[in-house]
Amino acid sequence: MYPRWLWPAFAIPGVVWLLILFLLPFYAVIGVAFGNIDPILQTPIPAWNPINWNTGWVAHVLNELTPGGVYWDVFLRTIRYVALSLGGCILIGYPVAYYIARHASRTKSLLLILLVLPFWISYLMRMLAWINLLAPGGYAARFLSFTHISDLLYHMGLLSQPNNFLGGQSFTVIFALIYGYIPYFILPLYASLDRIDRSHLEAARDLGASPFRAFWHVTLPLSKTGLLGGAVLIVLPMFGDYYTPNIVSGAPTTSMIGNQIDLYFHGGPQPTIGAAITIILSAFLVVLMGYYMWTIHKSSKELVA
Amino acid sequence: MHPKERRSAATRREFLARTGGAAFALSGASGLLAACSNSTTTAGSTVNSAGQKVGPGGLPLARPNRRVTLPLWEQPIPSGMKPETGGEFTIFNYPEYIYGALLKEFGKKYNVTVKVTPFDDINTGVAKLASGAVQPDVTEMTPDNLDRVVAGHLIKPLNLDYIPNLKKNVWPSLVDPFYDVGSQYGVPYTAYATGIAWRTDQVKVDIPSMSNPWDIFWQAQAYKGKTALLSEVRETIAMALLRKGELDINTEDPAKINQAVADLQELYNICNIKVGDLQYSTIPENKAWLNQAWSGDMMSAFFYYLPNKATGPLLRFWHPVKGKGPIQNDMWSICTTTKKPVLAHLFLNFMLDNGVAYSNFVNFNGYQPPLNEIVPEDLVKKKVIPETLATCVLTESDLGPDSLQEMTLTTTGQSLWQDGYSTFLSGA
Repeated sequence: MYPRWLWPAFAIPGVVWLLILFLLPFYAVIGVAFGNIDPILQTPIPAWNPINWNTGWVAHVLNELTPGGVYWDVFLRTIRYVALSLGGCILIGYPVAYYIARHASRTKSLLLILLVLPFWISYLMRMLAWINLLAPGGYAARFLSFTHISDLLYHMGLLSQPNNFLGGQSFTVIFALIYGYIPYFILPLYASLDRIDRSHLEAARDLGASPFRAFWHVTLPLSKTGLLGGAVLIVLPMFGDYYTPNIVSGAPTTSMIGNQIDLYFHGGPQPTIGAAITIILSAFLVVLMGYYMWTIHKSSKELVA
Repeated sequence: MHPKERRSAATRREFLARTGGAAFALSGASGLLAACSNSTTTAGSTVNSAGQKVGPGGLPLARPNRRVTLPLWEQPIPSGMKPETGGEFTIFNYPEYIYGALLKEFGKKYNVTVKVTPFDDINTGVAKLASGAVQPDVTEMTPDNLDRVVAGHLIKPLNLDYIPNLKKNVWPSLVDPFYDVGSQYGVPYTAYATGIAWRTDQVKVDIPSMSNPWDIFWQAQAYKGKTALLSEVRETIAMALLRKGELDINTEDPAKINQAVADLQELYNICNIKVGDLQYSTIPENKAWLNQAWSGDMMSAFFYYLPNKATGPLLRFWHPVKGKGPIQNDMWSICTTTKKPVLAHLFLNFMLDNGVAYSNFVNFNGYQPPLNEIVPEDLVKKKVIPETLATCVLTESDLGPDSLQEMTLTTTGQSLWQDGYSTFLSGA
């Protein structure tokens, strides 16, 4: 018989890790957002005790996050970019994960290694590589020009100029976001698809469902947790991303809310604004996380039932 | 149904209704929070007892025509001490802003291992110094930050007996600069002007002959996606002010700043303007054609970033004449955290040695040291730079009481400029 404390004790390293590397730093950001600023050195003075919180900065940011406010347009643009990138990841990632989970038998291991391969190279390096690929004369730009894909993108209104991918284009930023984050989306989705019991599909087919109906009514609902898990994994960091638009665009018209956080944290007398944007963005993301948690909870209950 | 189950078995419709309610509550929270309290200003006065505007450190604001003597918060080290040897000597600096071979030479001379700890930008650097996260011996500094680093006791007063090269080699106006009378806290490192860089194969307009060369950015329809401004709060807005003939590039008038930001916002539609500080590589590599730039950038571009040396003469740089555009300088200061104060003084002297400074300039940095020996014509004659880039080299005559320099603002002024840049950066 094991002592009662044994199994919970396994969670201690994870809890300590979470406390030290997530909760404490996050509370520090909250402390900064509700704190004050050293008048001489302009460094933040966090307010650790909620009784002493200065709510002025957060109220200011909330006010500017309303229609007509400074951050309203950039916030909407961020939501648009993240939503489109997520859509792109689903369109590209789902078939890939589906194929690996269901149809790649002998090549499964190889394909999984290929999926993990991008993690071997830093995200920044991969983004920087696109600068040379998409620059005029770059291999990718030449290919897209030769195949008239860039003209097509231009006529579709996705590029403001033909073959000027680095000229501050929303298309390039969304493309880069998809490229950068898609491996994080595919892996949990693959795990979820791989776990689906084939007998469910066979039952659906035996009962007369077409392949499409079997997918729609069996595979898709059963992969919902993987789909949402992958979505949460990529949506959260995308919301705070600032280096991707910086690297592949650099235009204010394609900046994201993360660029505003970067601006205020990178110097000047108002680091508190950067912290306030961060916690308000986190509050917004908690809603998305809440939906994910609710879905997981519901799915697990349905499974038990 | 068990109450626990009831709570978790909410329908999708209920969930959405609840989150919608939460979002609504969040939007109303700004009013509520504002009602609770509180301030969005940084403590500290913006004027002193004499009614003068002061910086965050409480010191009067230095301007080229208003000299400021910084207070000594401690006595400099005595003269005649021997330099410390052995161990590490740490330089806090921008990345890739000093020639490694020279550091090795210095380390060998004094038997120390010289290490460079980089910072992203000077504001982040000051924040790191203030937090104690780094404890370097010497640091790169800028004149507009002197107010707070002196008031915050982050840098030490100098004993100029250890730095004879200052008087011997440096432009007289920077031996005794307006922002630090008597060079009590720093010595100059580089000098640069802010102007316009372009490629003549792509931009056919003769920019220097335009009645207002800054207008080129507002006429850059043909260079859409290839035009950029510096990603710097002060430089970007100052350029828009100068374009409209406003020479006070340290103004704290909200109306002027708002107008400058509105002018900058016009550039979204004109040329889908970009921001960034990589013009030293993007212009020679043909990724950008027209950029706001610093004079040192085009020399770096010529020295290192040309894919084909023959395209060097295509690069151009223009900056306004004295008193019409910013001329800035970077400095070296000694950190309070140094354990090797004598050696730190000797390092400052080393960097002002004619041979060392010249080597750092032409072999690595591209940003010129403000030394009497550096003459544009000589650099052209020696074929260090092409004649077309002689405009990148500044001389002593570019400085003076009637020159322009982006200098310390009051805390309120800094917030005003930062918020203005935030509006521009939002792309709205």
